Amino acid sequence: MASRKKTLLKVIILGDSSVGKTSLMNQYVNRKFSNQYKATIGADFLTKELTVDDRTVTMQIWDTAGQERFQSLGVAFYRGADCCVLVFDVTAPNTFKSLDSWRDEFLIQASPREPENFPFVLLGNKVDLEPRAISAKRAQQWCQSKNNIPYFETSAKEGLNVEQAFLAIAKNALAQQNSTVDLYNEFPDQIKLTNTQKTSNNGDSCAC
Amino acid sequence: MSLGKMSQNEKDFKERLITTVKKEVKQVMEESVTRKFVHEESGSVTSLCGAVEACLSQGLRRRALGLFKTSSTTALLHKIAKHSPEAAIISKKVEELENLDPNRRSSSSSDSVTKPTLKKSASVPANPLPKYLWIRLALFEKQLAKIIDFLVSNATKYYDKDALVADAEYGTILSSLLMGPCALDYTRMKNHDHFWTDPPADELVQRHRISSGHSTPPSVRRPILNFRRSLNTSSEDSHTNRSSTQQIAKDYVETLHQNSKATLLFGKNNVLVLPVNSDLSKPIPGYLSLHQMPQGLAIKWTPNQLMNGFVDDSQDKSIFWEYALNVRLDDIVYVHCHQDSETGGTVILVGQDGVQRPPIHFPKGGHMLAFLSCIETGLLPHGRLDPPLWSQRSGKNHTKRRRPLPALTETEETSKDYVFRIIDNTCNHKDILKRNELMDTHASLPTKVRVQLGSTSTSSDSSTKSFSLDQNIPDSPPSVVVQAVCDSMKRQIISRAFYGWLAYCRHLSTVRTHLSGLVNTKIVNGVGASDGITLEKWSELCLNGVVSDYAEVYRLTYFGGITEALRHEIWPYLLGHYKFGSTLEQRNELSDETRQAYENTMSEWLAVEAIVKQRDKENQAHAIAKLSSESMSGEQVPPQIHEELCNEVFEDDSITDNEGDSLEEKETSAKRPKHTKQNTIKYVDDEEDSGGEQQAEEREKQANEENDGKNVQNEGALKNTENDLTTDKEDLEVAKEDSYINVNEELKDFIHNVIVINASVDICSLSNDNPRMTNLDAVTEENNSSLDTCIETHGLASPARSNCVSPASSNGGVYSQELLETFGLNLHRIEKDVQRCDRNYWYFMEKENLDKLRNVMCTYVWEHLDIGYMQGMCDLVAPLLVIFNDESLTYACFCHLMERMVENFPNGNAMDCHFANMRSLIQILDSEMYELMHAHGDYTHFYFCYRWFLLDFKRELMYPDVNATWEVIWAAQQVASSHFVLFLALALLETYRDIILSNGMDFTDIIKFFNEMAERHNVQSVLKLARELVLQLQILIENK
Repeated sequence: MASRKKTLLKVIILGDSSVGKTSLMNQYVNRKFSNQYKATIGADFLTKELTVDDRTVTMQIWDTAGQERFQSLGVAFYRGADCCVLVFDVTAPNTFKSLDSWRDEFLIQASPREPENFPFVLLGNKVDLEPRAISAKRAQQWCQSKNNIPYFETSAKEGLNVEQAFLAIAKNALAQQNSTVDLYNEFPDQIKLTNTQKTSNNGDSCAC
Repeated sequence: MSLGKMSQNEKDFKERLITTVKKEVKQVMEESVTRKFVHEESGSVTSLCGAVEACLSQGLRRRALGLFKTSSTTALLHKIAKHSPEAAIISKKVEELENLDPNRRSSSSSDSVTKPTLKKSASVPANPLPKYLWIRLALFEKQLAKIIDFLVSNATKYYDKDALVADAEYGTILSSLLMGPCALDYTRMKNHDHFWTDPPADELVQRHRISSGHSTPPSVRRPILNFRRSLNTSSEDSHTNRSSTQQIAKDYVETLHQNSKATLLFGKNNVLVLPVNSDLSKPIPGYLSLHQMPQGLAIKWTPNQLMNGFVDDSQDKSIFWEYALNVRLDDIVYVHCHQDSETGGTVILVGQDGVQRPPIHFPKGGHMLAFLSCIETGLLPHGRLDPPLWSQRSGKNHTKRRRPLPALTETEETSKDYVFRIIDNTCNHKDILKRNELMDTHASLPTKVRVQLGSTSTSSDSSTKSFSLDQNIPDSPPSVVVQAVCDSMKRQIISRAFYGWLAYCRHLSTVRTHLSGLVNTKIVNGVGASDGITLEKWSELCLNGVVSDYAEVYRLTYFGGITEALRHEIWPYLLGHYKFGSTLEQRNELSDETRQAYENTMSEWLAVEAIVKQRDKENQAHAIAKLSSESMSGEQVPPQIHEELCNEVFEDDSITDNEGDSLEEKETSAKRPKHTKQNTIKYVDDEEDSGGEQQAEEREKQANEENDGKNVQNEGALKNTENDLTTDKEDLEVAKEDSYINVNEELKDFIHNVIVINASVDICSLSNDNPRMTNLDAVTEENNSSLDTCIETHGLASPARSNCVSPASSNGGVYSQELLETFGLNLHRIEKDVQRCDRNYWYFMEKENLDKLRNVMCTYVWEHLDIGYMQGMCDLVAPLLVIFNDESLTYACFCHLMERMVENFPNGNAMDCHFANMRSLIQILDSEMYELMHAHGDYTHFYFCYRWFLLDFKRELMYPDVNATWEVIWAAQQVASSHFVLFLALALLETYRDIILSNGMDFTDIIKFFNEMAERHNVQSVLKLARELVLQLQILIENK
């Protein structure tokens, strides 16, 4: 138990441009908000260690470009993801509408073995702003229709709910790692997958 | 207090001792990392041992040591051997060595090394036991730390109270310091079973540095090789070739190792030779090596005193250079072998003139046989040993033990001597060229060298028994077989050489095919251009406002950049906006035209923007209203209602599936005309909306335009009319439904940019509106897809859209729904990104400048709606705007810039080309890096370079650096390479090459690294390196 191998969770943040993906990531990892972020080009990531159910995991959070045209680049960054975070801006209805396309595109590019069970988490960001255009109810309805995706309303600016949301993201990612040994069809020789195997064994011995 | 002073001094002394050990440990550890192994005889090992010795000697109680006097710490070792098992092991080994042979060096304790031939007293001054013998041994045996640990914990017995070892703190530090070196593996001089293999590049570099580092050679390092002696004692070549030049010494060192020029075929240490002309009474050990060089085989023997790591400062090394042997096998005719049971055998080389070279005494262990067989192999294909070393009868010579020379196995009791003749089949052994070109495949065959064996007595041995092939085997078969074997080998070697050459040619052809397009073939000289374009230079170049020497402008810019104050003037040239050779008047005229066109275009999209904004406002209101009603009623709202509410549509299909709702909407809007989403001109005007006002202004501007709009009095009437008119074109319903044209308003037709979907207009145009048609044609040439759509509309084919679209949907009167949507969407994106663009840079802290950026961006997108806005475009506009601070000029230059850059964006294919080119480039210019990328999760897709290429490194660099980089990229197109960005990327990678390689970075590491390094690069050195890389490739391609 003591020499448990550290788990790496790869999380991808997706959503329309300027919904606050970079801000959410930085708020969570660095606990600060800046209004100096530029539009993300390409991809960047930050890592954060956290404890989930007495396990120390390293979360690698990938921030991507928001314009849907840049999705073609995704295949390089999406592969090996353990969880996908969809973000929309509660004051901008369009960002909510494009969630479907983001989700579909992710599933196509990342091609997880069980697309229907792949963990997504939905974040409605900018709840500190008025006026709201998308109600929590509508977001939840959408989540229900997509196999009960967890939904959080966050404010990256005020740090509202961010910690909780990412903890849930980590849990979902971890659960996913534990439940499937081989999450991806195409890359069975990834190092991460051996981790998966190990953690799943550990998971069996745990009372969880 | 004097005592206190004393202790302070001693403390300082101890501190110094420990620091020395630390330094040496660090040195050894570094060596182990950089060279992959540490040689036992490395100077750093010796100096580490010396430092340890110094520590151990300090404060040692002589009394405790008893009888031993020779070396106090060695005595100490023997003393503690009784108590410490580790010390016992080492002590035993030391004793063995000391008793065994004083000539032997610690490193030669290998089992394979047999006793040397001549055992005498330790009278050879050149060959003492190495210093610090036991410490060395303990280190190599990995026991040193433990022994010192033992000493530290039992310090009271052997040391004074104030000794370093007795000091609780220093003692522990000492033993723990040595843990690291004790964990290393030390290598010996290579012995017979593994020859020198290819050393790692690092070691080569290190070696190079050592051998060429004349300026500051540390004393502990390998001695500088100042002398070289060409050591043929034969009469023809007996002169002593003394040269103290650095180059020769370096060459000598290099020839001892495997390198590009010479292949090492054999190497053996501690081979004894008694040099001629020496005062020595007995042979001394040295390193014997056999090298395959372009000129042929060479046998070298270097006294141990000259090999690296052998440190004995007391002696003058120069004498040993006299002793060293360097024999070209070309000069040798006979090889005499003397075998006796006690030693490994002796080889004497006899030259053409019959002069013998000094005897070479091999240690036991079959080294002589190995040496001979290496010579035999090395002589092929043109030469051979006669008789062959291996049996001729077996045919396959390598499968059987060689028969004729059983004595060489060392199993024989009796001493035997053999003589081999070296036969060179090439008629003239000096004919080096011929030999190298492998030309003489058959020419050599006729020279059937008869087996010529004769007994040759050697001076040293009386029991010489000459070996003759004739004694054993019939005469002809062996030579025939030998010939056949040689032929087959020759063929093999030729074919291998051919395939090697072929592979090389293919490689170069690949290089040329794939990479020749990346650089310009003409190499432009950068002499005198390193200052770039200064004010002075510019005044020379720009005569009377005319710049004609464009080549010089490009060249200066490429090699030295442009001074800040001139950028706004020169950039338009580089980007192709200004033409070289144009006069000031022409440029002013151009600027006026540009400005006029820019303003016109701006007025066009501003009108559309007004409509979009109005619609947004309404939609926002509706969305909120819906939201509140939804929350009040608690009903589940179907998602499509939302979509209906929102006119800023992400995808077009959202409209088509809302037919049912549309009708509903229509009714609602009919009841509440003021609050419907009908965004007709009339509506806008009635509302006295700012957008409407702008539109009105717009119309006034266009007052000269013909008014084609027909006044439509009645919505219903119009519908009917249009229905009649377009019975065969259902699609037009959309248009007619959109045509809420106020008859009282003088509608100006913005012909070349606005789509009028008014049926009546269409009808008019069919009959009498030819001018407008031409205008539209002109627009089409601009390749604007939205305008293509408008042509369709104009030609009575409406945009592909359901004919059930709600009449209430907010189509701006004279603009097509699609145009409004597209532009609206772009507008929103531009707005979001402009706000975020470099807002920490002083220029964009002012709202005014952000507006300029936005205007330029919107104008571009309006003119290029097919391309649309893509993230990153703002970043490309921003530096231009900062330099020019002029919207229209920025816009014009940006358009030129985008001609190249647009291909990098997702719909173009330049990015994939960049990645593919990067792959090829790095494979050829830095294969090690490529291997690393390939091995660590294979990120040779080069996606981490995405942002670099998309934005021409704009995000990687600070503003001044971006300017400097961009102008070089632009100039490079003319001067060196139109793909200069590739070389910049390569230069960035190469700049951090060592870091990348030493950390074995994978894809994520490298993304993180470069994201963190953004805006921290030394741009001038990167640019310099990039230019060098271009040149490197140019030369590679040029040299055919």
